[in-house]
Amino acid sequence: MVIKLDEVVISGLTKKFDDLTAVDHIEFNVAKGSIYGLLGPNGAGKSTTIRLLCTLLRPDEGTATVSGFDIIESPVQVREITGVLPEEGNHTLYQTLSGYDNLEYFARLYDVPEDEIPGRIEELLTFMDLWERKDDPAGELSTGNRQRLALCRALLHKPKVLLLDEPTAALDPVAAKRVRKLILSFSEKYGQTFFINSHNLSEVQRMCDKIAIIDEGKILLSGDTQELRTRFKTSQDFRIRVVDDLEKAGSIAESLDFVTSLKKEADTIVVTIEDPFTNNSMLMQSLLSQGIKIVEFAEEEATLEDLYLDVIKEGGAK
Amino acid sequence: MALYKSILVAKADLKMAMKVKMVRYGLIGIGALGPITMLVTVALMVYGDPVIGVLILPSISAILAPMLGMIAIIPASMIAANALVGEKEMNTLEPLLSTPLTDRELLIGKLLSSFIPSMALLLGSILVSEIGTFIILRSVGAEFILVPGIPGLFLLLTAGPTLIVAIVSIMILISGRVKRVYEAYQTSGAVVMVFILPMMIPTMTMGAGTVDMNSVWMWNIITFLITLVIAASTWALAVRKFNRDTMISM
Ligand SMILES: Nc1ncnc2c1ncn2[C@@H]1O[C@H](COP(=O)(O)OP(=O)(O)OP(=O)(O)O)[C@@H](O)[C@H]1O
Ligand SMILES: [Mg+2]
Repeated sequence: MVIKLDEVVISGLTKKFDDLTAVDHIEFNVAKGSIYGLLGPNGAGKSTTIRLLCTLLRPDEGTATVSGFDIIESPVQVREITGVLPEEGNHTLYQTLSGYDNLEYFARLYDVPEDEIPGRIEELLTFMDLWERKDDPAGELSTGNRQRLALCRALLHKPKVLLLDEPTAALDPVAAKRVRKLILSFSEKYGQTFFINSHNLSEVQRMCDKIAIIDEGKILLSGDTQELRTRFKTSQDFRIRVVDDLEKAGSIAESLDFVTSLKKEADTIVVTIEDPFTNNSMLMQSLLSQGIKIVEFAEEEATLEDLYLDVIKEGGAK
Repeated sequence: MALYKSILVAKADLKMAMKVKMVRYGLIGIGALGPITMLVTVALMVYGDPVIGVLILPSISAILAPMLGMIAIIPASMIAANALVGEKEMNTLEPLLSTPLTDRELLIGKLLSSFIPSMALLLGSILVSEIGTFIILRSVGAEFILVPGIPGLFLLLTAGPTLIVAIVSIMILISGRVKRVYEAYQTSGAVVMVFILPMMIPTMTMGAGTVDMNSVWMWNIITFLITLVIAASTWALAVRKFNRDTMISM
Protein backbone atom coordinates (compact mmCIF):
# COMPACT_ATOMS: atom_id res chain seq x y z
CA MET A 1 0.00 0.00 0.00
CA VAL A 2 1.22 3.47 -0.83
CA ILE A 3 0.75 5.94 1.96
CA LYS A 4 0.25 9.41 0.59
CA LEU A 5 1.14 12.03 3.13
CA ASP A 6 -0.59 15.34 3.19
CA GLU A 7 1.79 18.20 2.50
CA VAL A 8 -0.69 20.94 3.27
CA VAL A 9 -3.33 20.50 5.94
CA ILE A 10 -5.86 23.30 6.32
CA SER A 11 -8.19 23.22 9.28
CA GLY A 12 -10.85 25.80 10.00
CA LEU A 13 -8.77 28.55 8.41
CA THR A 14 -10.55 31.90 8.66
CA LYS A 15 -9.56 35.43 7.72
CA LYS A 16 -11.64 38.54 8.24
CA PHE A 17 -11.15 42.04 6.91
CA ASP A 18 -13.31 44.18 9.17
CA ASP A 19 -16.85 42.94 8.49
CA LEU A 20 -15.91 40.83 5.50
CA THR A 21 -15.01 37.18 6.04
CA ALA A 22 -12.70 36.63 3.09
CA VAL A 23 -11.88 33.03 4.06
CA ASP A 24 -14.49 31.26 6.11
CA HIS A 25 -13.51 28.11 8.04
CA ILE A 26 -12.03 26.33 5.06
CA GLU A 27 -10.87 22.78 5.44
CA PHE A 28 -8.95 20.54 3.06
CA ASN A 29 -5.70 18.62 2.60
CA VAL A 30 -3.26 18.62 -0.27
CA ALA A 31 -1.48 15.32 -0.87
CA LYS A 32 2.27 15.33 -1.22
CA GLY A 33 3.36 15.54 -4.85
CA SER A 34 -0.09 16.38 -6.13
CA ILE A 35 -1.38 19.38 -8.02
CA TYR A 36 -4.30 20.94 -6.22
CA GLY A 37 -6.54 23.54 -7.81
CA LEU A 38 -8.53 26.13 -5.90
CA LEU A 39 -11.20 27.41 -8.19
CA GLY A 40 -13.47 30.37 -7.66
CA PRO A 41 -14.77 33.65 -9.07
CA ASN A 42 -13.34 37.10 -8.33
CA GLY A 43 -13.30 37.94 -4.66
CA ALA A 44 -13.94 34.34 -3.60
CA GLY A 45 -10.96 34.27 -1.24
CA LYS A 46 -8.38 32.42 -3.34
CA SER A 47 -5.56 34.94 -2.99
CA THR A 48 -6.31 35.39 0.69
CA THR A 49 -5.91 31.62 1.12
CA ILE A 50 -2.49 31.69 -0.51
CA ARG A 51 -1.44 34.71 1.55
CA LEU A 52 -2.45 32.85 4.68
CA LEU A 53 -0.49 29.77 3.63
CA CYS A 54 2.70 31.73 2.94
CA THR A 55 2.32 33.54 6.29
CA LEU A 56 1.81 37.01 4.82
CA LEU A 57 -1.54 37.19 6.57
CA ARG A 58 -2.36 35.89 10.03
CA PRO A 59 -5.54 33.87 10.36
CA ASP A 60 -8.26 35.02 12.75
CA GLU A 61 -9.25 31.44 13.41
CA GLY A 62 -8.00 27.98 12.54
CA THR A 63 -4.60 27.14 11.18
CA ALA A 64 -2.74 25.18 8.56
CA THR A 65 0.45 23.22 8.34
CA VAL A 66 2.81 23.13 5.39
CA SER A 67 5.02 20.06 5.34
CA GLY A 68 4.38 19.70 9.04
CA PHE A 69 5.16 23.31 9.98
CA ASP A 70 2.39 25.37 11.49
CA ILE A 71 1.81 28.71 9.75
CA ILE A 72 1.30 30.50 13.07
CA GLU A 73 3.95 28.76 15.16
CA SER A 74 6.73 28.42 12.58
CA PRO A 75 6.25 31.06 9.89
CA VAL A 76 9.94 31.29 8.97
CA GLN A 77 10.19 27.53 8.36
CA VAL A 78 7.00 27.65 6.30
CA ARG A 79 8.41 30.43 4.14
CA GLU A 80 11.65 28.46 3.70
CA ILE A 81 9.94 25.48 2.12
CA THR A 82 7.36 27.28 0.02
CA GLY A 83 7.75 29.02 -3.30
CA VAL A 84 5.22 31.70 -4.07
CA LEU A 85 3.98 33.20 -7.30
CA PRO A 86 1.91 36.13 -6.08
CA GLU A 87 -1.23 37.40 -7.75
CA GLU A 88 -0.27 39.22 -10.97
CA GLY A 89 3.16 37.71 -10.54
CA ASN A 90 4.45 39.40 -13.67
CA HIS A 91 4.16 42.75 -11.90
CA THR A 92 6.09 41.68 -8.82
CA LEU A 93 9.64 41.74 -10.18
CA TYR A 94 12.17 44.50 -9.63
CA GLN A 95 11.69 46.28 -12.92
CA THR A 96 15.07 48.00 -13.01
CA LEU A 97 17.03 44.88 -12.13
CA SER A 98 17.90 42.34 -14.81
CA GLY A 99 16.18 38.98 -14.81
CA TYR A 100 19.39 37.41 -13.56
CA ASP A 101 19.78 39.90 -10.71
CA ASN A 102 16.17 39.44 -9.66
CA LEU A 103 16.79 35.71 -9.33
CA GLU A 104 20.19 36.05 -7.69
CA TYR A 105 18.77 38.33 -4.99
CA PHE A 106 16.00 35.88 -4.17
CA ALA A 107 18.28 32.85 -4.34
CA ARG A 108 20.36 34.44 -1.57
CA LEU A 109 17.31 35.42 0.45
CA TYR A 110 16.21 31.78 0.25
CA ASP A 111 19.65 30.55 1.33
CA VAL A 112 20.55 28.73 -1.87
CA PRO A 113 24.27 27.88 -1.39
CA GLU A 114 26.36 30.57 -3.10
CA ASP A 115 28.21 28.12 -5.37
CA GLU A 116 24.96 26.61 -6.61
CA ILE A 117 23.29 29.90 -7.48
CA PRO A 118 24.70 30.52 -11.00
CA GLY A 119 23.99 26.95 -12.10
CA ARG A 120 20.49 26.96 -10.67
CA ILE A 121 19.64 30.26 -12.36
CA GLU A 122 21.05 29.13 -15.69
CA GLU A 123 19.14 25.86 -15.54
CA LEU A 124 15.85 27.56 -14.78
CA LEU A 125 16.24 30.39 -17.25
CA THR A 126 17.25 27.97 -19.97
CA PHE A 127 14.33 25.74 -19.14
CA MET A 128 11.97 28.70 -19.36
CA ASP A 129 13.62 29.93 -22.57
CA LEU A 130 14.76 33.13 -20.92
CA TRP A 131 18.51 32.64 -20.82
CA GLU A 132 19.12 34.95 -23.80
CA ARG A 133 17.22 37.72 -22.03
CA LYS A 134 18.91 37.29 -18.67
CA ASP A 135 20.58 40.70 -18.72
CA ASP A 136 17.51 42.67 -19.78
CA PRO A 137 15.80 44.70 -17.09
CA ALA A 138 12.72 42.78 -15.99
CA GLY A 139 10.56 45.80 -16.76
CA GLU A 140 11.43 45.50 -20.44
CA LEU A 141 10.27 41.89 -20.84
CA SER A 142 6.86 40.92 -22.22
CA THR A 143 4.10 39.88 -19.85
CA GLY A 144 4.64 36.20 -20.65
CA ASN A 145 8.38 36.42 -20.13
CA ARG A 146 7.92 38.24 -16.85
CA GLN A 147 5.42 35.65 -15.70
CA ARG A 148 7.88 32.86 -16.43
CA LEU A 149 10.62 34.82 -14.70
CA ALA A 150 8.41 35.15 -11.63
CA LEU A 151 7.81 31.43 -11.83
CA CYS A 152 11.58 30.86 -11.91
CA ARG A 153 11.84 32.95 -8.77
CA ALA A 154 9.29 30.72 -7.05
CA LEU A 155 11.15 27.55 -8.09
CA LEU A 156 14.73 28.70 -7.36
CA HIS A 157 15.19 27.16 -3.94
CA LYS A 158 13.51 23.87 -4.86
CA PRO A 159 10.61 24.45 -2.48
CA LYS A 160 8.59 21.50 -1.31
CA VAL A 161 5.35 23.35 -1.86
CA LEU A 162 4.51 25.83 -4.59
CA LEU A 163 1.72 28.33 -4.11
CA LEU A 164 0.79 29.78 -7.47
CA ASP A 165 -1.82 32.51 -7.66
CA GLU A 166 -3.41 32.47 -11.10
CA PRO A 167 -0.23 31.48 -12.94
CA THR A 168 -1.73 31.89 -16.40
CA ALA A 169 -3.94 34.93 -15.92
CA ALA A 170 -2.94 37.78 -18.28
CA LEU A 171 -1.24 35.35 -20.65
CA ASP A 172 -2.29 34.63 -24.21
CA PRO A 173 -3.38 31.02 -24.92
CA VAL A 174 0.02 29.99 -26.25
CA ALA A 175 1.91 31.45 -23.31
CA ALA A 176 -0.65 30.00 -20.89
CA LYS A 177 -0.22 26.54 -22.38
CA ARG A 178 3.52 26.86 -22.05
CA VAL A 179 3.30 27.79 -18.39
CA ARG A 180 0.95 24.86 -17.76
CA LYS A 181 3.42 22.53 -19.43
CA LEU A 182 6.24 23.90 -17.31
CA ILE A 183 4.26 23.35 -14.14
CA LEU A 184 3.41 19.79 -15.14
CA SER A 185 6.97 18.95 -16.06
CA PHE A 186 8.27 20.35 -12.79
CA SER A 187 5.72 18.40 -10.86
CA GLU A 188 6.80 15.23 -12.66
CA LYS A 189 10.52 15.90 -12.45
CA TYR A 190 10.80 16.93 -8.81
CA GLY A 191 7.60 15.63 -7.25
CA GLN A 192 6.86 18.99 -5.72
CA THR A 193 3.41 19.79 -4.39
CA PHE A 194 1.54 22.49 -6.28
CA PHE A 195 -1.32 24.56 -5.00
CA ILE A 196 -2.84 26.58 -7.80
CA ASN A 197 -5.45 29.32 -7.73
CA SER A 198 -7.50 29.83 -10.81
CA HIS A 199 -10.81 31.00 -12.12
CA ASN A 200 -10.35 28.98 -15.25
CA LEU A 201 -12.08 25.62 -14.99
CA SER A 202 -10.66 23.99 -18.08
CA GLU A 203 -7.16 24.88 -16.97
CA VAL A 204 -7.68 23.37 -13.55
CA GLN A 205 -9.29 20.30 -15.09
CA ARG A 206 -6.29 19.77 -17.30
CA MET A 207 -3.64 20.18 -14.62
CA CYS A 208 -4.97 19.32 -11.23
CA ASP A 209 -5.40 15.99 -9.50
CA LYS A 210 -7.83 17.48 -7.07
CA ILE A 211 -9.88 20.62 -7.01
CA ALA A 212 -11.91 22.65 -4.57
CA ILE A 213 -14.43 25.30 -5.47
CA ILE A 214 -14.51 28.34 -3.24
CA ASP A 215 -17.02 31.17 -3.20
CA GLU A 216 -17.55 33.92 -0.66
CA GLY A 217 -14.82 32.39 1.46
CA LYS A 218 -16.47 28.98 1.70
CA ILE A 219 -15.50 25.72 0.08
CA LEU A 220 -18.56 24.61 -1.90
CA LEU A 221 -17.15 21.39 -3.20
CA SER A 222 -13.90 19.48 -3.32
CA GLY A 223 -12.65 16.21 -4.64
CA ASP A 224 -10.86 14.30 -7.36
CA THR A 225 -10.88 16.11 -10.68
CA GLN A 226 -11.86 12.99 -12.62
CA GLU A 227 -14.57 12.13 -10.16
CA LEU A 228 -16.02 15.62 -10.19
CA ARG A 229 -15.94 15.67 -13.93
CA THR A 230 -18.06 12.57 -14.27
CA ARG A 231 -20.21 13.52 -11.37
CA PHE A 232 -20.99 17.00 -12.51
CA LYS A 233 -20.54 17.04 -16.21
CA THR A 234 -24.00 15.99 -17.22
CA SER A 235 -23.67 17.40 -20.70
CA GLN A 236 -20.94 18.64 -22.96
CA ASP A 237 -20.66 20.54 -26.25
CA PHE A 238 -18.56 19.16 -29.11
CA ARG A 239 -17.56 21.15 -32.14
CA ILE A 240 -17.42 18.98 -35.25
CA ARG A 241 -16.05 19.95 -38.65
CA VAL A 242 -16.36 17.53 -41.58
CA VAL A 243 -15.41 17.31 -45.23
CA ASP A 244 -18.38 18.08 -47.53
CA ASP A 245 -21.31 16.39 -45.79
CA LEU A 246 -22.19 18.79 -43.03
CA GLU A 247 -25.93 18.26 -43.58
CA LYS A 248 -25.62 14.51 -43.43
CA ALA A 249 -23.44 14.69 -40.31
CA GLY A 250 -26.08 16.89 -38.72
CA SER A 251 -28.90 14.50 -39.39
CA ILE A 252 -26.88 11.53 -38.11
CA ALA A 253 -26.10 13.36 -34.90
CA GLU A 254 -29.70 14.42 -34.47
CA SER A 255 -30.88 10.84 -34.75
CA LEU A 256 -28.86 9.80 -31.68
CA ASP A 257 -30.92 9.86 -28.50
CA PHE A 258 -28.13 11.24 -26.26
CA VAL A 259 -27.78 14.35 -28.43
CA THR A 260 -29.84 17.05 -26.79
CA SER A 261 -29.21 19.94 -29.14
CA LEU A 262 -27.50 20.79 -32.35
CA LYS A 263 -26.39 24.12 -33.79
CA LYS A 264 -25.03 24.76 -37.26
CA GLU A 265 -22.31 27.38 -37.59
CA ALA A 266 -20.70 28.15 -40.97
CA ASP A 267 -18.66 24.98 -41.61
CA THR A 268 -19.15 23.28 -38.25
CA ILE A 269 -21.88 21.81 -36.10
CA VAL A 270 -21.97 22.13 -32.34
CA VAL A 271 -23.54 19.09 -30.70
CA THR A 272 -24.57 18.88 -27.07
CA ILE A 273 -24.52 15.37 -25.68
CA GLU A 274 -25.51 13.86 -22.37
CA ASP A 275 -23.14 11.78 -20.31
CA PRO A 276 -20.18 12.80 -22.46
CA PHE A 277 -17.70 10.35 -20.99
CA THR A 278 -19.48 7.35 -22.41
CA ASN A 279 -21.18 8.97 -25.35
CA ASN A 280 -18.53 11.04 -27.10
CA SER A 281 -16.89 8.02 -28.68
CA MET A 282 -20.32 6.71 -29.69
CA LEU A 283 -21.00 9.93 -31.51
CA MET A 284 -17.71 9.82 -33.32
CA GLN A 285 -18.17 6.16 -34.24
CA SER A 286 -21.65 6.78 -35.62
CA LEU A 287 -20.34 9.54 -37.85
CA LEU A 288 -17.31 7.59 -39.06
CA SER A 289 -19.26 4.40 -39.70
CA GLN A 290 -21.55 6.28 -42.06
CA GLY A 291 -18.65 7.58 -44.11
CA ILE A 292 -18.36 11.06 -42.68
CA LYS A 293 -14.81 12.41 -42.88
CA ILE A 294 -14.17 14.27 -39.62
CA VAL A 295 -11.64 17.10 -39.76
CA GLU A 296 -12.17 18.31 -36.23
CA PHE A 297 -13.86 16.84 -33.19
CA ALA A 298 -13.25 19.18 -30.31
CA GLU A 299 -14.56 19.40 -26.81
CA GLU A 300 -15.83 22.92 -26.21
CA GLU A 301 -14.14 24.43 -23.18
CA ALA A 302 -16.39 24.08 -20.24
CA THR A 303 -16.68 27.28 -18.26
CA LEU A 304 -16.66 27.77 -14.56
CA GLU A 305 -20.21 28.93 -14.89
CA ASP A 306 -21.30 25.53 -16.17
CA LEU A 307 -19.79 23.74 -13.24
CA TYR A 308 -21.20 26.31 -10.90
CA LEU A 309 -24.67 25.81 -12.17
CA ASP A 310 -24.15 22.11 -11.81
CA VAL A 311 -22.88 22.50 -8.27
CA ILE A 312 -25.83 24.64 -7.36
CA LYS A 313 -28.23 22.21 -9.04
CA GLU A 314 -26.68 19.34 -7.12
CA GLY A 315 -26.99 21.29 -3.90
CA GLY A 316 -30.65 21.95 -4.59
CA ALA A 317 -31.38 18.31 -5.39
CA LYS A 318 -29.96 17.06 -2.11
CA MET B 1 18.89 36.80 13.08
CA ALA B 2 21.56 36.83 10.41
CA LEU B 3 23.19 40.17 9.68
CA TYR B 4 24.28 39.12 6.20
CA LYS B 5 20.63 38.81 5.24
CA SER B 6 20.03 42.40 6.30
CA ILE B 7 23.08 43.48 4.34
CA LEU B 8 21.71 41.63 1.30
CA VAL B 9 18.48 43.60 1.53
CA ALA B 10 20.35 46.87 2.03
CA LYS B 11 22.62 46.20 -0.95
CA ALA B 12 19.70 45.40 -3.22
CA ASP B 13 17.84 48.51 -2.08
CA LEU B 14 20.87 50.70 -2.71
CA LYS B 15 21.44 49.22 -6.12
CA MET B 16 17.84 49.92 -7.03
CA ALA B 17 17.72 53.35 -5.42
CA MET B 18 20.71 54.39 -7.49
CA LYS B 19 18.82 53.38 -10.62
CA VAL B 20 16.05 55.84 -9.79
CA LYS B 21 17.11 59.13 -11.37
CA MET B 22 15.27 61.24 -8.82
CA VAL B 23 17.11 59.51 -6.00
CA ARG B 24 20.52 59.52 -7.65
CA TYR B 25 20.54 63.17 -8.74
CA GLY B 26 18.63 64.17 -5.63
CA LEU B 27 21.35 62.62 -3.52
CA ILE B 28 24.18 64.28 -5.42
CA GLY B 29 22.34 67.62 -5.62
CA ILE B 30 21.26 67.76 -2.02
CA GLY B 31 24.58 66.36 -0.91
CA ALA B 32 26.42 69.16 -2.65
CA LEU B 33 24.13 71.87 -1.31
CA GLY B 34 25.32 71.66 2.32
CA PRO B 35 29.07 72.03 1.77
CA ILE B 36 28.53 74.67 -0.94
CA THR B 37 26.47 76.87 1.42
CA MET B 38 29.04 76.30 4.13
CA LEU B 39 32.04 77.16 1.97
CA VAL B 40 30.43 80.17 0.28
CA THR B 41 29.74 81.60 3.74
CA VAL B 42 33.30 80.89 4.90
CA ALA B 43 34.72 82.47 1.74
CA LEU B 44 32.56 85.61 2.14
CA MET B 45 33.69 85.99 5.74
CA VAL B 46 37.36 85.36 5.20
CA TYR B 47 37.82 87.24 1.93
CA GLY B 48 35.61 90.12 3.16
CA ASP B 49 37.77 90.91 6.16
CA PRO B 50 40.31 88.23 7.10
CA VAL B 51 40.79 89.51 10.66
CA ILE B 52 37.11 89.80 11.65
CA GLY B 53 36.23 86.83 9.47
CA VAL B 54 38.56 84.50 11.35
CA LEU B 55 37.27 85.90 14.63
CA ILE B 56 33.59 85.11 13.99
CA LEU B 57 34.16 81.90 12.00
CA PRO B 58 33.66 79.55 15.02
CA SER B 59 30.27 81.14 15.74
CA ILE B 60 29.15 80.97 12.14
CA SER B 61 30.30 77.38 11.97
CA ALA B 62 28.34 76.52 15.15
CA ILE B 63 25.15 77.81 13.56
CA LEU B 64 25.75 76.32 10.13
CA ALA B 65 26.71 72.82 11.33
CA PRO B 66 23.08 71.82 12.07
CA MET B 67 22.15 73.06 8.61
CA LEU B 68 24.80 70.82 7.08
CA GLY B 69 23.36 67.90 9.05
CA MET B 70 19.80 68.64 8.05
CA ILE B 71 20.66 68.74 4.37
CA ALA B 72 22.72 65.57 4.52
CA ILE B 73 20.01 63.65 6.36
CA ILE B 74 17.01 64.59 4.22
CA PRO B 75 17.95 61.95 1.58
CA ALA B 76 17.65 59.27 4.27
CA SER B 77 13.90 59.73 4.23
CA MET B 78 13.90 59.63 0.45
CA ILE B 79 15.71 56.28 0.39
CA ALA B 80 13.73 54.83 3.29
CA ALA B 81 10.48 55.81 1.56
CA ASN B 82 11.62 54.07 -1.61
CA ALA B 83 12.79 51.01 0.27
CA LEU B 84 9.52 50.47 2.12
CA VAL B 85 6.57 52.27 0.58
CA GLY B 86 8.25 52.13 -2.82
CA GLU B 87 8.34 48.33 -2.69
CA LYS B 88 4.68 48.35 -1.81
CA GLU B 89 3.91 50.71 -4.68
CA MET B 90 5.90 48.54 -7.09
CA ASN B 91 4.25 45.29 -5.87
CA THR B 92 7.59 43.77 -4.90
CA LEU B 93 6.90 43.75 -1.18
CA GLU B 94 4.75 40.63 -1.28
CA PRO B 95 7.43 38.33 -2.74
CA LEU B 96 10.02 39.87 -0.42
CA LEU B 97 7.84 39.21 2.62
CA SER B 98 7.30 35.64 1.41
CA THR B 99 11.00 34.85 1.77
CA PRO B 100 12.38 33.36 5.00
CA LEU B 101 13.59 36.80 6.12
CA THR B 102 12.63 37.38 9.73
CA ASP B 103 11.00 40.67 10.72
CA ARG B 104 14.21 41.80 12.37
CA GLU B 105 16.40 40.94 9.38
CA LEU B 106 14.07 42.82 7.11
CA LEU B 107 13.84 45.91 9.32
CA ILE B 108 17.57 46.11 9.93
CA GLY B 109 18.11 45.68 6.20
CA LYS B 110 15.78 48.57 5.50
CA LEU B 111 17.50 50.61 8.21
CA LEU B 112 20.92 49.96 6.69
CA SER B 113 19.81 50.83 3.20
CA SER B 114 19.05 54.36 4.39
CA PHE B 115 21.74 54.58 7.02
CA ILE B 116 24.72 53.76 4.83
CA PRO B 117 24.21 56.37 2.08
CA SER B 118 23.04 59.01 4.53
CA MET B 119 26.08 58.53 6.73
CA ALA B 120 28.31 58.60 3.67
CA LEU B 121 26.68 61.84 2.63
CA LEU B 122 27.03 63.32 6.09
CA LEU B 123 30.69 62.35 6.45
CA GLY B 124 31.39 63.50 2.91
CA SER B 125 29.77 66.87 3.59
CA ILE B 126 31.85 67.32 6.73
CA LEU B 127 35.06 66.35 4.96
CA VAL B 128 34.45 68.67 2.01
CA SER B 129 33.63 71.54 4.38
CA GLU B 130 36.77 71.03 6.44
CA ILE B 131 39.07 70.70 3.43
CA GLY B 132 37.46 73.66 1.65
CA THR B 133 37.80 75.81 4.74
CA PHE B 134 41.45 74.78 5.10
CA ILE B 135 42.15 75.87 1.52
CA ILE B 136 40.33 79.19 1.93
CA LEU B 137 42.15 80.00 5.18
CA ARG B 138 45.53 78.99 3.74
CA SER B 139 45.00 81.26 0.75
CA VAL B 140 44.90 84.32 3.05
CA GLY B 141 47.64 82.95 5.28
CA ALA B 142 45.34 82.56 8.27
CA GLU B 143 45.62 79.91 10.93
CA PHE B 144 43.44 76.77 10.44
CA ILE B 145 40.05 76.68 12.11
CA LEU B 146 37.75 73.65 11.96
CA VAL B 147 34.46 74.35 10.13
CA PRO B 148 32.33 72.67 11.39
CA GLY B 149 34.10 73.13 14.73
CA ILE B 150 34.27 70.69 17.61
CA PRO B 151 30.72 71.39 18.93
CA GLY B 152 29.34 71.05 15.42
CA LEU B 153 31.24 67.80 14.82
CA PHE B 154 29.87 66.49 18.10
CA LEU B 155 26.32 67.28 16.98
CA LEU B 156 26.73 65.83 13.50
CA LEU B 157 28.41 62.63 14.61
CA THR B 158 26.00 61.88 17.47
CA ALA B 159 22.62 63.36 16.59
CA GLY B 160 23.18 62.70 12.87
CA PRO B 161 23.12 58.89 13.02
CA THR B 162 20.39 58.76 15.68
CA LEU B 163 18.21 61.02 13.56
CA ILE B 164 18.64 58.69 10.59
CA VAL B 165 17.48 55.79 12.77
CA ALA B 166 14.48 57.86 13.87
CA ILE B 167 13.55 58.70 10.29
CA VAL B 168 13.66 55.07 9.16
CA SER B 169 11.71 53.93 12.23
CA ILE B 170 8.97 56.46 11.58
CA MET B 171 8.93 55.31 7.97
CA ILE B 172 8.40 51.72 9.11
CA LEU B 173 5.62 52.81 11.45
CA ILE B 174 3.74 54.74 8.79
CA SER B 175 4.47 52.43 5.87
CA GLY B 176 1.40 50.30 6.58
CA ARG B 177 -0.79 53.34 6.29
CA VAL B 178 0.60 55.43 3.46
CA LYS B 179 0.30 54.45 -0.16
CA ARG B 180 2.57 56.87 -1.96
CA VAL B 181 6.31 57.27 -1.61
CA TYR B 182 5.94 61.04 -1.70
CA GLU B 183 3.58 61.16 1.28
CA ALA B 184 5.80 58.85 3.30
CA TYR B 185 8.89 60.82 2.60
CA GLN B 186 7.39 64.13 3.62
CA THR B 187 6.00 62.78 6.88
CA SER B 188 9.17 61.11 8.10
CA GLY B 189 11.41 63.84 6.70
CA ALA B 190 9.78 66.36 9.02
CA VAL B 191 11.81 64.96 11.94
CA VAL B 192 14.98 66.67 10.70
CA MET B 193 13.36 69.86 11.96
CA VAL B 194 14.76 69.13 15.44
CA PHE B 195 18.03 70.45 14.04
CA ILE B 196 16.38 73.88 14.01
CA LEU B 197 16.90 73.94 17.80
CA PRO B 198 20.74 74.07 17.84
CA MET B 199 20.64 76.34 14.82
CA MET B 200 18.29 78.99 16.17
CA ILE B 201 18.44 79.08 19.94
CA PRO B 202 22.18 79.88 20.37
CA THR B 203 21.79 82.85 17.98
CA MET B 204 19.75 84.54 20.69
CA THR B 205 22.96 84.88 22.68
CA MET B 206 24.62 86.60 19.73
CA GLY B 207 26.55 89.74 20.53
CA ALA B 208 29.22 91.47 18.40
CA GLY B 209 28.95 88.72 15.78
CA THR B 210 29.82 85.85 18.11
CA VAL B 211 27.62 83.41 20.00
CA ASP B 212 28.05 82.03 23.49
CA MET B 213 29.80 78.68 22.99
CA ASN B 214 28.33 77.30 26.22
CA SER B 215 24.87 77.79 24.79
CA VAL B 216 25.99 76.07 21.56
CA TRP B 217 27.30 73.08 23.50
CA MET B 218 24.21 72.92 25.67
CA TRP B 219 21.80 72.93 22.73
CA ASN B 220 23.87 70.47 20.76
CA ILE B 221 23.76 68.08 23.69
CA ILE B 222 20.03 68.64 24.22
CA THR B 223 19.42 68.01 20.52
CA PHE B 224 21.39 64.79 20.68
CA LEU B 225 19.38 63.63 23.68
CA ILE B 226 16.10 64.48 21.94
CA THR B 227 17.09 62.54 18.81
CA LEU B 228 18.22 59.67 21.00
CA VAL B 229 14.84 59.48 22.71
CA ILE B 230 12.97 59.76 19.40
CA ALA B 231 15.15 57.13 17.73
CA ALA B 232 15.01 54.65 20.61
CA SER B 233 11.27 54.92 21.10
CA THR B 234 10.31 54.89 17.41
CA TRP B 235 12.66 51.97 16.63
CA ALA B 236 11.33 49.94 19.55
CA LEU B 237 7.79 50.70 18.45
CA ALA B 238 8.54 49.90 14.81
CA VAL B 239 9.99 46.50 15.69
CA ARG B 240 7.13 45.69 18.03
CA LYS B 241 4.31 46.93 15.81
CA PHE B 242 5.67 45.52 12.60
CA ASN B 243 3.65 42.78 11.00
CA ARG B 244 3.33 41.48 7.50
CA ASP B 245 -0.42 41.68 7.72
CA THR B 246 -0.59 45.48 7.84
CA MET B 247 2.31 45.90 5.43
CA ILE B 248 0.50 44.23 2.57
CA SER B 249 -3.06 45.27 3.32
CA MET B 250 -4.49 48.05 1.28
N1 LIG C 1 -6.08 43.44 2.48
C1 LIG C 1 -7.41 43.42 2.34
N2 LIG C 1 -8.16 44.31 2.99
C2 LIG C 1 -9.51 44.29 2.87
N3 LIG C 1 -10.20 43.42 2.11
C3 LIG C 1 -9.50 42.51 1.43
C4 LIG C 1 -8.07 42.47 1.50
N4 LIG C 1 -7.65 41.44 0.72
C5 LIG C 1 -8.75 40.89 0.19
N5 LIG C 1 -9.87 41.51 0.60
C6 LIG C 1 -11.25 41.14 0.25
O1 LIG C 1 -11.42 39.77 0.54
C7 LIG C 1 -12.18 39.12 -0.46
C8 LIG C 1 -11.40 37.98 -1.04
O2 LIG C 1 -10.32 38.49 -1.77
P1 LIG C 1 -9.28 37.60 -2.56
O3 LIG C 1 -8.26 38.53 -3.12
O4 LIG C 1 -8.82 36.51 -1.70
O5 LIG C 1 -10.17 37.02 -3.73
P2 LIG C 1 -9.74 36.15 -4.99
O6 LIG C 1 -10.52 34.91 -4.93
O7 LIG C 1 -8.27 36.04 -5.04
O8 LIG C 1 -10.27 37.05 -6.17
P3 LIG C 1 -9.63 37.36 -7.62
O9 LIG C 1 -10.05 36.27 -8.53
O10 LIG C 1 -10.29 38.64 -7.98
O11 LIG C 1 -8.18 37.48 -7.45
C9 LIG C 1 -12.53 40.20 -1.47
O12 LIG C 1 -13.83 40.66 -1.20
C10 LIG C 1 -11.53 41.28 -1.23
O13 LIG C 1 -12.06 42.54 -1.54
MG1 LIG D 1 -6.87 36.71 -6.34
